[in-house]
Amino acid sequence: MTDEQKTNPMLPYLGKLVEVKDIATEIKLFRVEMLNGGAEAFHSYKPGQFAFVSAFGVGEAPFGIANIPHFGEHNGSTNGDATLDFAINRLGSVTTDLHELGVGDMVGVRGPMGNGFPMDKFKGKNLIVIGGGIGGAPLRPVIQTVIANRADYGHFQILWAARNPSLLVFTDEYDQWRATPDTELHLTVDQADDTWNHSVGLITQLLEGVAPSPENAVTITCGPPIMIHFVNRVLVEKLGFMPEQNYVTLEARMHCGIGKCGRCNLGTKLICVDGPVFTMAEVGALLESFL
Amino acid sequence: MNYLTHQEVAAWLDRLAQEQTLIAPLDIAGNILYRPVNDTKEVVWDFVRSFMSVKEVFFPPTERMMLMEKIGQQVTITETLPQGNTIIFGVRPCDARGLLTLDALFIDNEPVDPYYARRRENTTLIGLACQSVGASCFCTNVGGAPDDPTGMDIMLTASNGGYVAEIITEKGEKISKKFPVFDGLSEIRPHPTHARKRELKVPPKEVWPARFNDDFWAEMAERCLSCRICAYVCPSCRCFDIRDEVLPGTDGRNQSERIRCWDSCNGIPYRRVAGGHNPRFMKNQRLRNRFFCKFYYFPLHYGPVSCTGCGRCIDACPVNVDITEVLGYVGRR
Repeated sequence: MTDEQKTNPMLPYLGKLVEVKDIATEIKLFRVEMLNGGAEAFHSYKPGQFAFVSAFGVGEAPFGIANIPHFGEHNGSTNGDATLDFAINRLGSVTTDLHELGVGDMVGVRGPMGNGFPMDKFKGKNLIVIGGGIGGAPLRPVIQTVIANRADYGHFQILWAARNPSLLVFTDEYDQWRATPDTELHLTVDQADDTWNHSVGLITQLLEGVAPSPENAVTITCGPPIMIHFVNRVLVEKLGFMPEQNYVTLEARMHCGIGKCGRCNLGTKLICVDGPVFTMAEVGALLESFL
Repeated sequence: MNYLTHQEVAAWLDRLAQEQTLIAPLDIAGNILYRPVNDTKEVVWDFVRSFMSVKEVFFPPTERMMLMEKIGQQVTITETLPQGNTIIFGVRPCDARGLLTLDALFIDNEPVDPYYARRRENTTLIGLACQSVGASCFCTNVGGAPDDPTGMDIMLTASNGGYVAEIITEKGEKISKKFPVFDGLSEIRPHPTHARKRELKVPPKEVWPARFNDDFWAEMAERCLSCRICAYVCPSCRCFDIRDEVLPGTDGRNQSERIRCWDSCNGIPYRRVAGGHNPRFMKNQRLRNRFFCKFYYFPLHYGPVSCTGCGRCIDACPVNVDITEVLGYVGRR
């Protein structure tokens, strides 16, 4: 960490793109090797934490970090560690510019930020991970944590959804997920194509079908707000989960990530510093709705 | 206490302006604004309240945070922290209180915001007590007073054609030493202003949550234009946006700057999330957030209420959304 970054939390670290690949329609996976002190700052971030990624000259935006430190092989990293994955959907000006970049280009990264998932607290429990579309990005570190520490967790169910098959993220990792002991992967899409041979329908229907048991279990959901709302409703009203068992990661188009800019306030909470991970019991107790 | 004649204060300001930037109330096309002074004869001494608060000196409407340059695939980032010492003359008590409110967020709440903190460090405040109270002023209802020296480095209060000067901080003492007149003692600090206290009770933060779902917010919001002027004139609103701007190229250089600029929770895109969902899509939700922030969320997180009773939002609002009307409603229920 340089002295400037110690005193100025708004200055990004530099990162070099070491891999850029299309993983779904308009969604690319960016692998960033941290430079100028960033490797130290990102040495031991937690699943569910996020970072701001800069497209220099356009701006920066927050993204959930899509990997855990030191997971698997280090593809393309020259310093052996501190590579960050970001799965980014091309939607606005920053993400459009990022999609124009290629291997060797520089991005800025500020973080890690936010509370992250309490993976230690989840130890010994059955985990149900529920991801919708690009919402799967911040859940991938949870999946990687379970794979890397399989004995620490109980039965593992992954429910993965998208509007159509071309929008499913991390498809080339499904075999690895399925091959993990005591792990189930259930897929669904709203609209199928000819090649699709999994469920068709909303993730709430898939969830009702899979019907995970609430006993000694926690759920971890990320997706659009409306999906989070209805997934929690199915979990609580049909499957018998308590809101305390249902973890979600929320989002806002925040600008600072350090509790200053005000943009991410949700009633008395700031998503950037109090979240982005909350239980639905916490979310339900807030004055203001996230919906 | 020191007593200075008007001429002595003016001569002192002239002396200070030679050494560092002097910012003072100036008449800019009919609006009183705090601007750098070239000639101290331009300074407006007798005014009720400036159109914009001194907030903009410390937290400018737009400020550069860093410069970035791309050379091939390489990028260099240069931090651009504010430089130089500044003195502000004629600071009103409500604005000094506004700065203490911003301090609670930008400085006392870690991590420190280096841009704001640097300007606070390098700026000395010469307060000027209000001699009259404006029609929309209600500082006395939120703990302030027209002659309140809180937050000032030196406080001037008009008295018998001159000014009684109270040196409050080391910073204030330092600039007083630039002038030999600061050595006499006066008896007491005068209280020239007759601050009337409105019949207005500011409801404590505990009262607010129960008012969250009231129809009042929708009724109030019917006239709101979401124009955001209330936040921009406010001495304690602090929300901001950050973006990059490409700089006009010189010698084919690829340079850009990262800027931050004022934002407001009344703006429609403010609370949008990725994918376009907006949990604060309705105007009443946004209007409500502004008042809940000021009197419930901000005090809960940072201590002070985020209102100094300056009344600028009341004067600036084109459709008469009146913060005292809101306080009256919440306090009455």
